[in-house]
Amino acid sequence: MSATIERDEVLGIVRDRLAEILELEPSDIGEGDSFQDDLDADSLALIELVEAIEEELGERSIVLRIEDDDLEDLKTVRDAVDYVVGRLG
Amino acid sequence: MLPVAVDAMGGDNAPHAIVAGARRAHEEHGIPVVLVGRADELGDTGGLEVIEASEVIAMDADPGSSVRTMKDASLVRAAEAVRDGKASAMVSAGNTGATMASALLRTGRIKGVSRPAIATAIPGPVGPPTVLLDAGANAECRAEWLVQFAQMGAVFSRARFDVERPRVGLLSIGEEAGKGSPLVKEAFGLLDAVDWSSQGADFIGNVEGRDLMGTEVDVVVTDGFTGNVALKTLEGCAKNIISALLESFESTPEAKEASEALLPALLPLYKRFNPDSYGGAMLLGTKGVCIISHGSSGEEAMANAISVASEMVSGDLVGKIHAAVS
Repeated sequence: MSATIERDEVLGIVRDRLAEILELEPSDIGEGDSFQDDLDADSLALIELVEAIEEELGERSIVLRIEDDDLEDLKTVRDAVDYVVGRLG
Repeated sequence: MLPVAVDAMGGDNAPHAIVAGARRAHEEHGIPVVLVGRADELGDTGGLEVIEASEVIAMDADPGSSVRTMKDASLVRAAEAVRDGKASAMVSAGNTGATMASALLRTGRIKGVSRPAIATAIPGPVGPPTVLLDAGANAECRAEWLVQFAQMGAVFSRARFDVERPRVGLLSIGEEAGKGSPLVKEAFGLLDAVDWSSQGADFIGNVEGRDLMGTEVDVVVTDGFTGNVALKTLEGCAKNIISALLESFESTPEAKEASEALLPALLPLYKRFNPDSYGGAMLLGTKGVCIISHGSSGEEAMANAISVASEMVSGDLVGKIHAAVS
């Protein structure tokens, strides 16, 4: 890792990219929202999100590989943000 | 035109039947083709260009994780060729889910499209085939997605089968507006409220399973679970009836003689119902043209799939879908 990033920035990335993928407004996405129950995000949408997060962090010179095995533990937007922050910490 | 990227390693008959089909499309129809796969396993490619890809995603592999972990897989590289402007379209007879995932993840969704859908052509005895979608991409759907499927299906019906003003129906268990599941009832209301004249199509209300092979509807919309069950039911039904028919033809010397006399009249019908004539299903809603061919595709199916892909690129299918859902 050659750069740092704050939790709020990670939340912003997750929210913006998810909004793009699900055709929603970023303001419609809450931190506590469940991917499946509140946002109707299916497994492919989650993989789209993961790839988008990896890509955006890469553009900021931050290398992060989100493991597929960890995906099933990410149930909410908060889970995803905490996971990324935890891995970068 | 940019070449059509063909996943040479995908399908039960890969790579040889796939390469043969690609060669046929190029040699007989002049369509530019680039093969994607292990160059040393492809045999005589007839001079077709090859994009090297060392990995092959198995037919039963998990679509999402395989596309993410097997970066050098043939169908992933084929989708990347489209994304990177090296190919105009992709065709694969490999793992359906992985083909869909790679097209979606590499080329992206058309802006405005919530979910891509798989559109399948269902031929009937007369008239243009009916377009059924979603045939399996989205097992669970929201009512708004079905509206987009209807819009995309109408564009595809016009582009692929020259249906000037496609009639769109919603698959249900009765023709009356109040019939069906909560999803169908909600979708009916949304579809009924669309200004179809601006789409050059008409919403004709609910249709039933029996209408899939008829002439009353051109585009049938449903969720991916129901669509896949309907499609597989039709396939199984046709297969069993044909087997029983062929058995009857052989049952007595008289029947055999009569069947030989009938054969010339039946052949055009066989061609019409043969899935190889259509090449495969079309993934609608991604930024690149993507054809998902049947796993058992042979040379003819592959040549036809490439030909359809080329036709859809020339007809700007992606641009027209973008306009329809905007």
